[in-house]
Amino acid sequence: MPEIIEIKNITKEFKVLNRREGLKGSLKDLFSRDYKIVRAVDNVSLSIGQGEIVGYLGPNGAGKSTTIKMMTGVLEPTSGEILVDGNIPYRNRTKNAQNIGVVFGQRSQLWWALPLVESFKILKDIYRIPDENYNGMIELYRSLVDIDPLLHKPVRQMSLGQRTLSDILAAFLHDPKIVFLDEPTIGLDVSMKAKIRTLIHALNKEKKTTVILTTHDMGDVDALCHRIIIIDKGKMLYDNDIEHLKGFFGSYRTLKIRVGEDPEKQAEKIRAELPEFSVSADDEWISVLVDEEKAKVIDVLGQLQKTHNIRDMQLEEISTEEVIKKIYEEGVQ
Amino acid sequence: MNLRKYLTLTRAGIIESLQFRLSFLVMVIGNILYLIVVYFLWKAIYDSAETDIVNGMTFTDTLIYIVLASALFSFMEMYIVWEIGRSIQSGKIVLDLLKPMDYRRYLFWSYSGTFVSQFFLTFMPTFIAVSIATGGAIPLGMNLLYFAVSVVMSVSINYSIDFFTGTICLYTESIWGINIMKQVIVLLLSGATIPLAFFPEPLKTIMYYLPFQSIYNAPLSLLLDGNPEPQKVLITLGTQLLWCIVMLVISRVFWKISLRQITVNGG
Repeated sequence: MPEIIEIKNITKEFKVLNRREGLKGSLKDLFSRDYKIVRAVDNVSLSIGQGEIVGYLGPNGAGKSTTIKMMTGVLEPTSGEILVDGNIPYRNRTKNAQNIGVVFGQRSQLWWALPLVESFKILKDIYRIPDENYNGMIELYRSLVDIDPLLHKPVRQMSLGQRTLSDILAAFLHDPKIVFLDEPTIGLDVSMKAKIRTLIHALNKEKKTTVILTTHDMGDVDALCHRIIIIDKGKMLYDNDIEHLKGFFGSYRTLKIRVGEDPEKQAEKIRAELPEFSVSADDEWISVLVDEEKAKVIDVLGQLQKTHNIRDMQLEEISTEEVIKKIYEEGVQ
Repeated sequence: MNLRKYLTLTRAGIIESLQFRLSFLVMVIGNILYLIVVYFLWKAIYDSAETDIVNGMTFTDTLIYIVLASALFSFMEMYIVWEIGRSIQSGKIVLDLLKPMDYRRYLFWSYSGTFVSQFFLTFMPTFIAVSIATGGAIPLGMNLLYFAVSVVMSVSINYSIDFFTGTICLYTESIWGINIMKQVIVLLLSGATIPLAFFPEPLKTIMYYLPFQSIYNAPLSLLLDGNPEPQKVLITLGTQLLWCIVMLVISRVFWKISLRQITVNGG
Protein backbone atom coordinates (compact mmCIF):
# COMPACT_ATOMS: atom_id res chain seq x y z
CA MET A 1 0.00 0.00 0.00
CA PRO A 2 1.63 3.31 -1.04
CA GLU A 3 1.86 5.89 1.71
CA ILE A 4 -0.25 8.98 1.21
CA ILE A 5 0.39 10.80 4.46
CA GLU A 6 3.83 10.81 6.00
CA ILE A 7 4.38 12.57 9.30
CA LYS A 8 7.72 12.60 11.07
CA ASN A 9 8.16 13.93 14.59
CA ILE A 10 5.85 16.89 14.26
CA THR A 11 5.41 19.23 17.16
CA LYS A 12 3.11 22.21 17.33
CA GLU A 13 3.42 24.89 19.95
CA PHE A 14 1.07 27.79 20.51
CA LYS A 15 1.84 31.04 22.23
CA VAL A 16 -0.96 31.84 24.64
CA LEU A 17 -1.33 35.02 26.61
CA ASN A 18 -1.41 34.45 30.35
CA ARG A 19 -4.75 35.95 31.32
CA ARG A 20 -5.17 37.52 34.70
CA GLU A 21 -8.30 37.62 36.79
CA GLY A 22 -10.69 40.48 37.39
CA LEU A 23 -11.05 43.91 35.89
CA LYS A 24 -7.61 45.04 36.97
CA GLY A 25 -6.09 41.90 35.50
CA SER A 26 -7.94 42.39 32.21
CA LEU A 27 -6.63 45.94 31.97
CA LYS A 28 -3.10 44.73 32.63
CA ASP A 29 -3.55 42.06 29.96
CA LEU A 30 -3.98 44.77 27.35
CA PHE A 31 -0.30 45.59 27.70
CA SER A 32 0.97 42.22 28.77
CA ARG A 33 3.71 40.40 26.93
CA ASP A 34 3.48 37.50 29.33
CA TYR A 35 3.05 34.48 27.07
CA LYS A 36 3.24 30.83 27.89
CA ILE A 37 4.00 28.16 25.36
CA VAL A 38 1.43 25.40 25.03
CA ARG A 39 2.48 22.25 23.25
CA ALA A 40 -0.63 21.02 21.46
CA VAL A 41 1.04 18.25 19.49
CA ASP A 42 4.16 16.64 20.84
CA ASN A 43 6.49 14.66 18.62
CA VAL A 44 3.91 12.67 16.68
CA SER A 45 4.95 10.39 13.82
CA LEU A 46 2.65 8.35 11.67
CA SER A 47 2.13 7.23 8.14
CA ILE A 48 -1.14 6.42 6.47
CA GLY A 49 -1.58 4.35 3.32
CA GLN A 50 -3.78 4.98 0.33
CA GLY A 51 -7.33 3.75 0.88
CA GLU A 52 -7.12 3.26 4.64
CA ILE A 53 -9.82 4.35 7.05
CA VAL A 54 -8.12 5.51 10.19
CA GLY A 55 -9.90 6.41 13.39
CA TYR A 56 -8.22 9.30 15.10
CA LEU A 57 -9.30 9.36 18.70
CA GLY A 58 -8.64 11.28 21.84
CA PRO A 59 -10.48 13.32 24.43
CA ASN A 60 -11.38 16.96 23.82
CA GLY A 61 -8.31 19.15 23.60
CA ALA A 62 -6.00 16.23 22.93
CA GLY A 63 -4.55 17.80 19.80
CA LYS A 64 -6.63 16.02 17.18
CA SER A 65 -7.84 19.14 15.37
CA THR A 66 -4.39 20.66 15.48
CA THR A 67 -2.92 17.59 13.77
CA ILE A 68 -5.66 17.67 11.15
CA LYS A 69 -5.14 21.38 10.56
CA MET A 70 -1.47 20.67 9.95
CA MET A 71 -2.32 17.92 7.47
CA THR A 72 -4.65 20.26 5.61
CA GLY A 73 -2.08 23.06 5.58
CA VAL A 74 -3.94 25.58 7.69
CA LEU A 75 -1.30 25.33 10.40
CA GLU A 76 2.44 25.06 10.05
CA PRO A 77 4.19 22.67 12.41
CA THR A 78 6.73 24.16 14.82
CA SER A 79 9.09 21.34 13.96
CA GLY A 80 9.04 18.06 12.10
CA GLU A 81 8.16 17.00 8.59
CA ILE A 82 4.81 16.43 7.00
CA LEU A 83 4.03 15.22 3.51
CA VAL A 84 0.55 14.78 2.08
CA ASP A 85 0.58 13.08 -1.30
CA GLY A 86 4.09 14.39 -1.85
CA ASN A 87 3.17 17.99 -0.98
CA ILE A 88 4.16 20.00 2.03
CA PRO A 89 0.65 21.16 2.92
CA TYR A 90 1.35 24.57 4.47
CA ARG A 91 3.61 25.56 1.57
CA ASN A 92 1.20 24.49 -1.17
CA ARG A 93 -2.11 24.94 0.56
CA THR A 94 -4.04 25.60 -2.63
CA LYS A 95 -2.54 22.61 -4.40
CA ASN A 96 -3.09 20.42 -1.37
CA ALA A 97 -6.71 21.59 -1.19
CA GLN A 98 -7.34 19.99 -4.56
CA ASN A 99 -6.35 16.61 -3.06
CA ILE A 100 -8.38 16.72 0.11
CA GLY A 101 -11.95 17.00 1.25
CA VAL A 102 -13.09 18.04 4.70
CA VAL A 103 -16.22 17.71 6.79
CA PHE A 104 -16.45 19.41 10.14
CA GLY A 105 -19.47 18.01 11.94
CA GLN A 106 -20.62 21.32 13.32
CA ARG A 107 -20.05 23.50 10.26
CA SER A 108 -21.20 23.29 6.72
CA GLN A 109 -19.25 24.23 3.65
CA LEU A 110 -22.41 24.31 1.58
CA TRP A 111 -24.14 27.44 0.34
CA TRP A 112 -26.73 27.95 2.97
CA ALA A 113 -29.44 29.63 0.91
CA LEU A 114 -29.06 27.54 -2.24
CA PRO A 115 -30.41 24.13 -3.18
CA LEU A 116 -27.84 21.37 -2.78
CA VAL A 117 -27.44 20.88 -6.51
CA GLU A 118 -26.28 24.51 -6.87
CA SER A 119 -23.62 23.95 -4.21
CA PHE A 120 -22.50 20.89 -6.13
CA LYS A 121 -22.27 22.91 -9.34
CA ILE A 122 -20.21 25.59 -7.63
CA LEU A 123 -17.85 22.97 -6.23
CA LYS A 124 -17.66 21.39 -9.67
CA ASP A 125 -16.38 24.66 -11.13
CA ILE A 126 -14.14 25.56 -8.20
CA TYR A 127 -12.41 22.17 -8.22
CA ARG A 128 -12.59 22.04 -12.01
CA ILE A 129 -14.22 18.63 -12.07
CA PRO A 130 -14.73 17.38 -15.66
CA ASP A 131 -18.39 16.81 -16.64
CA GLU A 132 -17.82 13.11 -17.03
CA ASN A 133 -16.43 12.64 -13.51
CA TYR A 134 -19.10 14.87 -12.02
CA ASN A 135 -21.93 12.93 -13.63
CA GLY A 136 -20.30 9.66 -12.65
CA MET A 137 -20.08 10.82 -9.07
CA ILE A 138 -23.72 11.89 -8.98
CA GLU A 139 -24.70 8.50 -10.38
CA LEU A 140 -22.64 6.80 -7.70
CA TYR A 141 -24.32 8.92 -5.01
CA ARG A 142 -27.69 8.05 -6.44
CA SER A 143 -26.90 4.36 -6.12
CA LEU A 144 -25.81 4.77 -2.50
CA VAL A 145 -28.34 7.15 -1.01
CA ASP A 146 -31.64 8.62 -1.98
CA ILE A 147 -30.31 12.02 -3.02
CA ASP A 148 -32.97 13.18 -5.43
CA PRO A 149 -35.24 14.69 -2.75
CA LEU A 150 -32.19 16.45 -1.29
CA LEU A 151 -30.80 17.92 -4.50
CA HIS A 152 -33.42 20.59 -4.88
CA LYS A 153 -33.79 21.43 -1.24
CA PRO A 154 -32.09 24.58 0.10
CA VAL A 155 -29.48 23.63 2.67
CA ARG A 156 -31.01 25.86 5.33
CA GLN A 157 -34.20 23.81 5.22
CA MET A 158 -32.43 20.51 5.76
CA SER A 159 -32.37 18.56 8.99
CA LEU A 160 -29.01 18.13 10.67
CA GLY A 161 -28.79 14.57 9.37
CA GLN A 162 -29.55 15.56 5.77
CA ARG A 163 -27.08 18.41 6.00
CA THR A 164 -24.30 16.18 7.31
CA LEU A 165 -25.02 13.67 4.58
CA SER A 166 -24.88 16.44 1.98
CA ASP A 167 -21.65 17.77 3.43
CA ILE A 168 -20.05 14.35 3.18
CA LEU A 169 -21.18 14.01 -0.44
CA ALA A 170 -19.78 17.48 -1.15
CA ALA A 171 -16.43 16.57 0.39
CA PHE A 172 -16.10 13.50 -1.85
CA LEU A 173 -17.34 15.26 -4.99
CA HIS A 174 -13.99 16.18 -6.50
CA ASP A 175 -12.73 12.66 -5.85
CA PRO A 176 -10.03 13.74 -3.40
CA LYS A 177 -7.35 11.32 -2.32
CA ILE A 178 -7.95 12.03 1.34
CA VAL A 179 -11.08 13.02 3.22
CA PHE A 180 -10.97 14.33 6.76
CA LEU A 181 -14.13 13.74 8.74
CA ASP A 182 -14.28 15.57 12.03
CA GLU A 183 -17.06 14.13 14.18
CA PRO A 184 -19.42 13.52 11.27
CA THR A 185 -22.06 11.76 13.34
CA ILE A 186 -22.27 14.27 16.18
CA GLY A 187 -25.84 14.97 17.23
CA LEU A 188 -27.43 12.45 14.87
CA ASP A 189 -29.98 9.76 15.65
CA VAL A 190 -29.16 6.08 15.42
CA SER A 191 -30.59 5.40 11.97
CA MET A 192 -28.90 8.45 10.45
CA LYS A 193 -25.62 7.41 12.05
CA ALA A 194 -25.94 4.00 10.45
CA LYS A 195 -26.74 5.57 7.08
CA ILE A 196 -23.72 7.83 7.23
CA ARG A 197 -21.42 5.01 8.26
CA THR A 198 -22.62 2.88 5.33
CA LEU A 199 -22.08 5.80 2.99
CA ILE A 200 -18.54 6.49 4.17
CA HIS A 201 -17.71 2.81 3.95
CA ALA A 202 -19.08 2.53 0.41
CA LEU A 203 -17.29 5.66 -0.83
CA ASN A 204 -14.02 4.48 0.64
CA LYS A 205 -14.40 1.12 -1.05
CA GLU A 206 -15.53 2.49 -4.39
CA LYS A 207 -13.08 5.37 -4.74
CA LYS A 208 -10.17 4.06 -2.64
CA THR A 209 -10.30 7.32 -0.75
CA THR A 210 -8.23 7.54 2.39
CA VAL A 211 -10.47 8.54 5.26
CA ILE A 212 -9.30 10.06 8.50
CA LEU A 213 -12.09 9.99 11.01
CA THR A 214 -12.17 11.90 14.25
CA THR A 215 -14.91 10.86 16.59
CA HIS A 216 -16.01 10.30 20.15
CA ASP A 217 -18.42 7.60 19.11
CA MET A 218 -16.99 4.11 19.45
CA GLY A 219 -19.81 2.93 17.19
CA ASP A 220 -18.29 4.87 14.30
CA VAL A 221 -14.92 3.35 14.99
CA ASP A 222 -16.32 -0.17 15.23
CA ALA A 223 -18.24 0.17 11.99
CA LEU A 224 -15.54 1.78 9.89
CA CYS A 225 -11.96 1.65 11.08
CA HIS A 226 -9.40 -1.12 10.91
CA ARG A 227 -6.75 0.98 12.43
CA ILE A 228 -6.94 3.54 15.16
CA ILE A 229 -4.64 6.17 16.49
CA ILE A 230 -5.15 7.55 19.95
CA ILE A 231 -3.69 10.82 21.05
CA ASP A 232 -3.88 12.53 24.40
CA LYS A 233 -2.27 15.72 25.64
CA GLY A 234 -0.50 15.98 22.30
CA LYS A 235 1.26 12.66 22.62
CA MET A 236 0.53 9.55 20.63
CA LEU A 237 -0.67 6.74 22.88
CA TYR A 238 -1.65 4.06 20.45
CA ASP A 239 -1.38 3.29 16.76
CA ASN A 240 -2.45 -0.16 15.73
CA ASP A 241 -5.22 -2.49 14.62
CA ILE A 242 -8.57 -2.12 16.19
CA GLU A 243 -8.60 -5.86 16.96
CA HIS A 244 -5.65 -5.27 19.17
CA LEU A 245 -7.50 -2.63 21.11
CA LYS A 246 -10.64 -4.72 21.45
CA GLY A 247 -8.90 -6.51 24.29
CA PHE A 248 -9.09 -3.25 26.13
CA PHE A 249 -12.65 -2.32 25.59
CA GLY A 250 -14.44 -5.04 23.65
CA SER A 251 -15.24 -7.06 26.73
CA TYR A 252 -16.00 -4.13 28.97
CA ARG A 253 -19.45 -2.76 29.67
CA THR A 254 -20.43 -0.08 32.10
CA LEU A 255 -23.35 -1.07 34.25
CA LYS A 256 -25.06 1.92 35.79
CA ILE A 257 -27.55 1.50 38.60
CA ARG A 258 -29.59 3.83 40.73
CA VAL A 259 -30.20 2.81 44.30
CA GLY A 260 -31.80 5.81 45.94
CA GLU A 261 -30.22 7.66 48.87
CA ASP A 262 -26.53 8.39 49.18
CA PRO A 263 -24.89 6.73 46.19
CA GLU A 264 -21.38 7.33 47.57
CA LYS A 265 -22.05 5.21 50.60
CA GLN A 266 -23.76 2.50 48.57
CA ALA A 267 -20.87 2.48 46.13
CA GLU A 268 -18.55 1.84 49.05
CA LYS A 269 -20.54 -1.29 49.89
CA ILE A 270 -20.58 -2.48 46.29
CA ARG A 271 -16.85 -1.98 46.08
CA ALA A 272 -16.49 -4.39 48.95
CA GLU A 273 -18.84 -6.88 47.34
CA LEU A 274 -17.21 -6.74 43.92
CA PRO A 275 -13.50 -6.23 44.50
CA GLU A 276 -12.52 -7.26 40.96
CA PHE A 277 -14.37 -4.38 39.22
CA SER A 278 -13.88 -0.64 39.40
CA VAL A 279 -16.83 1.16 40.93
CA SER A 280 -17.52 4.86 40.85
CA ALA A 281 -20.45 7.06 41.81
CA ASP A 282 -21.86 10.46 40.98
CA ASP A 283 -24.89 12.28 42.41
CA GLU A 284 -27.33 9.77 41.02
CA TRP A 285 -25.70 6.79 39.43
CA ILE A 286 -23.28 4.12 40.51
CA SER A 287 -21.15 2.84 37.65
CA VAL A 288 -19.59 -0.59 37.64
CA LEU A 289 -17.09 -1.33 34.90
CA VAL A 290 -17.70 -5.01 34.21
CA ASP A 291 -15.15 -7.16 32.42
CA GLU A 292 -17.34 -9.67 30.64
CA GLU A 293 -14.52 -12.17 30.43
CA LYS A 294 -14.65 -12.42 34.19
CA ALA A 295 -18.38 -12.24 34.82
CA LYS A 296 -21.56 -11.68 32.85
CA VAL A 297 -23.26 -8.33 33.33
CA ILE A 298 -26.50 -10.12 34.05
CA ASP A 299 -24.90 -12.10 36.87
CA VAL A 300 -23.43 -8.97 38.39
CA LEU A 301 -26.81 -7.34 38.22
CA GLY A 302 -28.43 -10.36 39.80
CA GLN A 303 -25.95 -10.34 42.60
CA LEU A 304 -26.44 -6.63 43.24
CA GLN A 305 -30.19 -7.01 43.22
CA LYS A 306 -30.06 -9.37 46.17
CA THR A 307 -28.43 -6.82 48.40
CA HIS A 308 -29.62 -3.49 46.96
CA ASN A 309 -32.90 -1.98 46.02
CA ILE A 310 -32.21 -1.15 42.35
CA ARG A 311 -34.65 1.41 40.98
CA ASP A 312 -33.19 1.93 37.57
CA MET A 313 -30.37 0.60 35.42
CA GLN A 314 -28.46 1.41 32.23
CA LEU A 315 -25.90 -0.46 30.20
CA GLU A 316 -23.26 1.46 28.29
CA GLU A 317 -20.45 0.61 25.94
CA ILE A 318 -17.10 1.72 27.23
CA SER A 319 -16.40 5.27 26.04
CA THR A 320 -13.30 6.55 24.30
CA GLU A 321 -12.37 8.38 27.44
CA GLU A 322 -12.48 5.19 29.43
CA VAL A 323 -10.44 3.32 26.83
CA ILE A 324 -7.82 6.01 27.02
CA LYS A 325 -7.91 5.93 30.79
CA LYS A 326 -7.40 2.18 30.73
CA ILE A 327 -4.53 2.49 28.28
CA TYR A 328 -2.95 5.04 30.56
CA GLU A 329 -3.38 2.88 33.58
CA GLU A 330 -2.40 -0.46 32.14
CA GLY A 331 -0.22 0.36 29.13
CA VAL A 332 -0.54 -1.25 25.73
CA GLN A 333 0.43 -4.83 25.18
CA MET B 1 -11.66 28.08 -18.39
CA ASN B 2 -9.87 29.59 -15.45
CA LEU B 3 -12.40 32.38 -15.22
CA ARG B 4 -15.19 29.88 -14.86
CA LYS B 5 -14.45 29.02 -11.25
CA TYR B 6 -14.82 32.69 -10.38
CA LEU B 7 -17.92 33.35 -12.43
CA THR B 8 -19.66 30.40 -10.82
CA LEU B 9 -19.30 32.23 -7.50
CA THR B 10 -20.77 35.38 -9.02
CA ARG B 11 -23.69 33.36 -10.30
CA ALA B 12 -24.26 31.77 -6.90
CA GLY B 13 -24.15 35.19 -5.28
CA ILE B 14 -26.81 36.55 -7.60
CA ILE B 15 -29.12 33.63 -6.93
CA GLU B 16 -28.44 33.87 -3.21
CA SER B 17 -29.18 37.58 -3.01
CA LEU B 18 -32.43 37.12 -4.91
CA GLN B 19 -33.60 34.54 -2.37
CA PHE B 20 -34.28 37.14 0.26
CA ARG B 21 -37.00 39.36 -1.13
CA LEU B 22 -38.03 40.72 2.22
CA SER B 23 -34.60 41.94 3.21
CA PHE B 24 -34.36 43.64 -0.16
CA LEU B 25 -37.61 45.44 0.48
CA VAL B 26 -36.52 46.55 3.94
CA MET B 27 -33.32 47.89 2.45
CA VAL B 28 -35.18 49.92 -0.14
CA ILE B 29 -37.42 51.42 2.54
CA GLY B 30 -34.37 52.22 4.67
CA ASN B 31 -32.74 53.98 1.75
CA ILE B 32 -35.84 56.05 1.06
CA LEU B 33 -36.01 57.13 4.71
CA TYR B 34 -32.36 58.11 4.62
CA LEU B 35 -32.95 60.17 1.50
CA ILE B 36 -35.90 61.98 3.07
CA VAL B 37 -33.76 62.96 6.04
CA VAL B 38 -30.97 64.11 3.74
CA TYR B 39 -33.38 66.11 1.62
CA PHE B 40 -34.63 68.17 4.56
CA LEU B 41 -31.20 68.53 6.04
CA TRP B 42 -29.75 70.06 2.90
CA LYS B 43 -32.88 72.12 2.30
CA ALA B 44 -32.37 73.67 5.72
CA ILE B 45 -28.74 74.35 4.92
CA TYR B 46 -29.58 76.03 1.65
CA ASP B 47 -32.49 77.98 3.15
CA SER B 48 -30.28 79.45 5.82
CA ALA B 49 -27.59 80.38 3.31
CA GLU B 50 -27.88 83.79 1.71
CA THR B 51 -27.10 82.64 -1.82
CA ASP B 52 -28.51 79.90 -4.01
CA ILE B 53 -25.11 78.49 -4.68
CA VAL B 54 -23.12 77.17 -1.74
CA ASN B 55 -19.51 76.17 -2.35
CA GLY B 56 -20.13 76.17 -6.08
CA MET B 57 -23.05 73.75 -5.91
CA THR B 58 -26.76 74.47 -6.25
CA PHE B 59 -29.33 72.68 -4.11
CA THR B 60 -30.16 70.35 -7.00
CA ASP B 61 -26.49 69.59 -7.62
CA THR B 62 -25.97 68.68 -3.99
CA LEU B 63 -29.09 66.58 -3.81
CA ILE B 64 -28.26 64.62 -6.95
CA TYR B 65 -24.78 64.04 -5.62
CA ILE B 66 -26.01 62.80 -2.23
CA VAL B 67 -28.72 60.56 -3.66
CA LEU B 68 -26.36 58.92 -6.11
CA ALA B 69 -23.70 58.57 -3.42
CA SER B 70 -26.11 56.70 -1.21
CA ALA B 71 -27.17 54.50 -4.13
CA LEU B 72 -23.52 53.81 -4.86
CA PHE B 73 -22.97 53.02 -1.20
CA SER B 74 -25.80 50.51 -1.10
CA PHE B 75 -24.15 48.40 -3.75
CA MET B 76 -20.55 49.03 -2.86
CA GLU B 77 -20.85 48.19 0.83
CA MET B 78 -20.39 44.43 0.93
CA TYR B 79 -19.92 43.99 4.66
CA ILE B 80 -16.67 42.17 3.97
CA VAL B 81 -15.29 43.18 7.34
CA TRP B 82 -18.21 41.52 9.08
CA GLU B 83 -17.86 38.46 6.94
CA ILE B 84 -14.16 38.03 7.63
CA GLY B 85 -14.58 38.82 11.31
CA ARG B 86 -17.42 36.39 11.76
CA SER B 87 -15.75 33.55 9.94
CA ILE B 88 -12.65 34.07 12.06
CA GLN B 89 -14.70 33.96 15.25
CA SER B 90 -16.72 30.94 14.24
CA GLY B 91 -13.76 29.12 12.72
CA LYS B 92 -15.49 28.89 9.35
CA ILE B 93 -12.44 30.53 7.85
CA VAL B 94 -10.72 27.14 7.96
CA LEU B 95 -13.22 25.79 5.45
CA ASP B 96 -12.73 28.81 3.19
CA LEU B 97 -8.97 28.51 3.38
CA LEU B 98 -9.28 24.92 2.25
CA LYS B 99 -10.84 25.87 -1.07
CA PRO B 100 -8.35 25.46 -3.92
CA MET B 101 -8.36 29.22 -4.41
CA ASP B 102 -6.70 32.29 -2.97
CA TYR B 103 -8.86 33.46 -0.05
CA ARG B 104 -8.84 37.11 -1.09
CA ARG B 105 -10.11 36.22 -4.52
CA TYR B 106 -12.52 33.63 -3.22
CA LEU B 107 -14.18 36.17 -0.97
CA PHE B 108 -14.30 38.85 -3.65
CA TRP B 109 -15.94 36.61 -6.19
CA SER B 110 -18.32 35.19 -3.61
CA TYR B 111 -19.54 38.71 -3.08
CA SER B 112 -19.47 39.86 -6.66
CA GLY B 113 -22.94 38.40 -7.22
CA THR B 114 -24.55 40.57 -4.56
CA PHE B 115 -22.78 43.39 -6.23
CA VAL B 116 -24.22 42.75 -9.66
CA SER B 117 -27.73 42.32 -8.37
CA GLN B 118 -27.47 45.44 -6.17
CA PHE B 119 -26.22 47.46 -9.09
CA PHE B 120 -29.26 46.60 -11.14
CA LEU B 121 -31.76 46.62 -8.30
CA THR B 122 -30.64 49.74 -6.43
CA PHE B 123 -28.27 51.90 -8.35
CA MET B 124 -29.90 51.74 -11.77
CA PRO B 125 -33.47 52.51 -10.57
CA THR B 126 -32.21 55.36 -8.39
CA PHE B 127 -30.19 56.74 -11.26
CA ILE B 128 -33.13 56.61 -13.65
CA ALA B 129 -35.50 58.08 -11.07
CA VAL B 130 -33.16 60.97 -10.27
CA SER B 131 -32.52 61.55 -13.93
CA ILE B 132 -36.22 61.86 -14.71
CA ALA B 133 -37.14 63.78 -11.55
CA THR B 134 -34.53 66.46 -12.13
CA GLY B 135 -35.53 66.85 -15.76
CA GLY B 136 -32.22 65.88 -17.30
CA ALA B 137 -29.90 67.54 -14.81
CA ILE B 138 -27.61 64.54 -15.16
CA PRO B 139 -25.75 64.78 -18.46
CA LEU B 140 -25.89 61.65 -20.60
CA GLY B 141 -22.83 61.31 -22.79
CA MET B 142 -19.22 60.25 -22.58
CA ASN B 143 -19.42 60.87 -18.84
CA LEU B 144 -21.34 57.57 -18.47
CA LEU B 145 -18.39 55.69 -19.91
CA TYR B 146 -15.91 57.46 -17.64
CA PHE B 147 -18.20 56.73 -14.74
CA ALA B 148 -18.36 53.01 -15.58
CA VAL B 149 -14.59 52.72 -15.73
CA SER B 150 -14.27 54.72 -12.55
CA VAL B 151 -16.78 52.59 -10.62
CA VAL B 152 -14.89 49.41 -11.43
CA MET B 153 -11.81 50.91 -9.83
CA SER B 154 -13.84 52.24 -6.90
CA VAL B 155 -15.04 48.73 -6.22
CA SER B 156 -11.50 47.44 -6.26
CA ILE B 157 -10.18 50.15 -3.92
CA ASN B 158 -13.14 49.74 -1.59
CA TYR B 159 -12.63 45.98 -1.48
CA SER B 160 -8.93 46.36 -0.72
CA ILE B 161 -9.69 48.70 2.17
CA ASP B 162 -12.38 46.33 3.49
CA PHE B 163 -10.12 43.33 3.17
CA PHE B 164 -7.32 45.17 4.92
CA THR B 165 -9.66 46.10 7.77
CA GLY B 166 -10.98 42.55 7.93
CA THR B 167 -7.46 41.23 8.22
CA ILE B 168 -6.99 43.30 11.37
CA CYS B 169 -9.70 41.08 12.91
CA LEU B 170 -7.22 38.22 12.83
CA TYR B 171 -5.34 40.01 15.58
CA THR B 172 -8.13 41.62 17.55
CA GLU B 173 -10.73 38.84 17.28
CA SER B 174 -13.39 41.53 17.57
CA ILE B 175 -15.13 43.19 14.68
CA TRP B 176 -17.57 45.80 15.82
CA GLY B 177 -15.34 48.71 16.75
CA ILE B 178 -13.01 48.23 13.84
CA ASN B 179 -15.85 48.06 11.38
CA ILE B 180 -17.53 51.18 12.71
CA MET B 181 -14.26 53.07 12.62
CA LYS B 182 -13.60 52.02 9.05
CA GLN B 183 -17.10 52.99 7.99
CA VAL B 184 -16.94 56.44 9.54
CA ILE B 185 -13.55 57.16 8.03
CA VAL B 186 -14.50 55.93 4.59
CA LEU B 187 -17.92 57.58 4.47
CA LEU B 188 -16.63 60.94 5.66
CA LEU B 189 -13.35 61.15 3.79
CA SER B 190 -14.66 59.68 0.56
CA GLY B 191 -17.33 62.30 0.08
CA ALA B 192 -20.13 59.77 0.44
CA THR B 193 -22.09 61.77 3.02
CA ILE B 194 -20.93 65.32 2.33
CA PRO B 195 -19.63 66.50 -1.06
CA LEU B 196 -15.94 67.27 -0.92
CA ALA B 197 -16.64 70.86 -2.02
CA PHE B 198 -18.06 71.56 1.44
CA PHE B 199 -14.89 70.73 3.32
CA PRO B 200 -12.54 73.50 4.44
CA GLU B 201 -9.54 74.14 2.25
CA PRO B 202 -6.61 72.44 4.08
CA LEU B 203 -8.70 69.34 4.81
CA LYS B 204 -9.84 69.16 1.19
CA THR B 205 -6.24 69.10 0.00
CA ILE B 206 -5.39 66.33 2.44
CA MET B 207 -8.41 64.36 1.29
CA TYR B 208 -7.31 64.53 -2.32
CA TYR B 209 -4.10 62.81 -1.31
CA LEU B 210 -5.90 59.97 0.48
CA PRO B 211 -7.31 56.90 -1.25
CA PHE B 212 -10.84 57.37 0.08
CA GLN B 213 -11.98 60.14 -2.26
CA SER B 214 -11.29 57.76 -5.14
CA ILE B 215 -14.14 55.56 -3.96
CA TYR B 216 -17.13 57.94 -4.08
CA ASN B 217 -16.01 61.40 -5.07
CA ALA B 218 -14.13 60.32 -8.20
CA PRO B 219 -16.87 58.38 -10.01
CA LEU B 220 -19.58 60.85 -8.98
CA SER B 221 -17.68 63.92 -10.11
CA LEU B 222 -17.05 62.23 -13.45
CA LEU B 223 -20.71 61.32 -13.77
CA LEU B 224 -22.06 64.76 -12.97
CA ASP B 225 -19.72 66.70 -15.21
CA GLY B 226 -21.28 67.09 -18.68
CA ASN B 227 -18.20 68.12 -20.61
CA PRO B 228 -15.12 67.60 -18.48
CA GLU B 229 -11.68 68.67 -19.60
CA PRO B 230 -9.81 65.60 -20.83
CA GLN B 231 -7.02 66.50 -18.44
CA LYS B 232 -9.34 66.29 -15.45
CA VAL B 233 -10.67 62.89 -16.55
CA LEU B 234 -7.16 61.62 -16.99
CA ILE B 235 -6.04 62.85 -13.59
CA THR B 236 -9.07 61.43 -11.83
CA LEU B 237 -8.84 58.01 -13.45
CA GLY B 238 -5.06 57.97 -13.13
CA THR B 239 -5.25 58.69 -9.41
CA GLN B 240 -7.79 55.92 -9.02
CA LEU B 241 -5.65 53.46 -10.91
CA LEU B 242 -2.70 54.34 -8.73
CA TRP B 243 -4.69 53.77 -5.54
CA CYS B 244 -6.11 50.59 -7.00
CA ILE B 245 -2.64 49.13 -7.38
CA VAL B 246 -1.27 50.50 -4.13
CA MET B 247 -4.18 49.28 -2.01
CA LEU B 248 -4.22 45.93 -3.76
CA VAL B 249 -0.56 45.38 -2.98
CA ILE B 250 -0.88 46.61 0.61
CA SER B 251 -3.91 44.48 1.41
CA ARG B 252 -2.41 41.39 -0.23
CA VAL B 253 0.89 41.72 1.57
CA PHE B 254 -0.76 42.41 4.91
CA TRP B 255 -2.96 39.33 4.47
CA LYS B 256 0.01 37.15 3.51
CA ILE B 257 1.98 38.25 6.55
CA SER B 258 -1.01 37.87 8.87
CA LEU B 259 -1.92 34.46 7.55
CA ARG B 260 1.63 33.30 8.12
CA GLN B 261 1.32 34.58 11.63
CA ILE B 262 -1.79 32.48 12.04
CA THR B 263 -0.37 29.30 10.56
CA VAL B 264 2.70 29.67 12.76
CA ASN B 265 1.10 30.74 16.01
CA GLY B 266 -2.35 29.29 15.62
CA GLY B 267 -5.62 31.16 15.73
